[in-house]
Amino acid sequence: MTQRMDLGDAVRDALPVYEASPALRAWAIEEGRKLDGEATPEGSSMNRARARFWRSPQWRVAAGLIIAAFAGWGVGSLRPISNGSPSDRLTSELIDAHVRSLLPGHLMDVVSSDRHTVKPWFAGKTDLAPAVLDLSDQGFPLLGGRLDYIDGHSVAALAYGRRLHTINLFVWRSGQDERSNGSFAVRGYNLVHWTKGGLSYWAVSDVALSDLEAFRETYTK
Amino acid sequence: MMQGRFERVVLPHLSGAFTLAMYLTGNRADAEDAVQEAILRAVRYFGTLRDEDARAWFLTIVRRVCFTAYRTDRPRGTDMISIEAVPLQLVDHHEQPDTTAERLQVQQRVRDAIDQLPPLLREAIVLRELQSCSYTEIATITEVPVGTVMSRLSRARARLADLLRDVADFGDVA
Repeated sequence: MTQRMDLGDAVRDALPVYEASPALRAWAIEEGRKLDGEATPEGSSMNRARARFWRSPQWRVAAGLIIAAFAGWGVGSLRPISNGSPSDRLTSELIDAHVRSLLPGHLMDVVSSDRHTVKPWFAGKTDLAPAVLDLSDQGFPLLGGRLDYIDGHSVAALAYGRRLHTINLFVWRSGQDERSNGSFAVRGYNLVHWTKGGLSYWAVSDVALSDLEAFRETYTK
Repeated sequence: MMQGRFERVVLPHLSGAFTLAMYLTGNRADAEDAVQEAILRAVRYFGTLRDEDARAWFLTIVRRVCFTAYRTDRPRGTDMISIEAVPLQLVDHHEQPDTTAERLQVQQRVRDAIDQLPPLLREAIVLRELQSCSYTEIATITEVPVGTVMSRLSRARARLADLLRDVADFGDVA
């Protein structure tokens, strides 16, 4: 004898939902509170103690003093300090551009996962010719490209995906004021900077720094 | 400034995560270990999460832990889910005895049928019907394109309908 029924209902009726044990739940809450209490820039490969130091008020005061010292020396522009941190203004602009790109409809001027579509698009808009690589096999699908405006000039921006996240790769002709290469964690975002063939590259994202560094390795390979 | 965010964003999905781990590992001890490991990873990579993606993000981690640590991708039959091991669900007391018996029988048959599905089809149907995940969420969690998810669900439904055709008519399931 058969009866008419909905498959979903039958599955829900037959399969149990399991509850996590109170001990596991309590432990999870504890782990969460430890993390929430620390409020560290998560995702960075820096260890927690070091992360805390960079964000600490003491560090900010120290940075202020160092900058004041440079200014007192009459050095005209803000110089990279300590391990070559890029200027706050540049990283701020890059992060702002990244965040802006995530607003609906702002990510791409040319929406395509086909590099043969994206690259010619740039050729008509700018004298930059960033390498437009298809990295989907390595887990970084090309989403598209657009022009952006950073640090006083037009730059090419390539958008790549990383799981649910977006990596913006900003490319411009490297100038005389080139900043040091390296990885940076600012305002909860990660940035990786390198230069190659006279072009300056900045990858910006909220993915883990290790992912962003893997992206650089893949892109520059 | 980030007080309580992990607790607020991730932990509401703890039972969903545990249920998925139960279906993937097949026993409570492994499921507990898997969820524990997933939480440690979630804490470590919490910065990469956007709030609205929390469930899919957390379940993706759980599934990865299950598949790597507990090798649940092995052929079915070795300690996969043992849904027989849990008591059948309580029924409404107002139901007539013969209805109750019949319903329990259908439940058992449905469980047996789901148990016979290949793991990837079973996982898709559990995420869809038990956890009410969207196709997009299932695609994220199982790390395949949405089209693959739809195809797996369609095959899972067709297989279930076929296995259960003597007890139930599910209509057009494709």
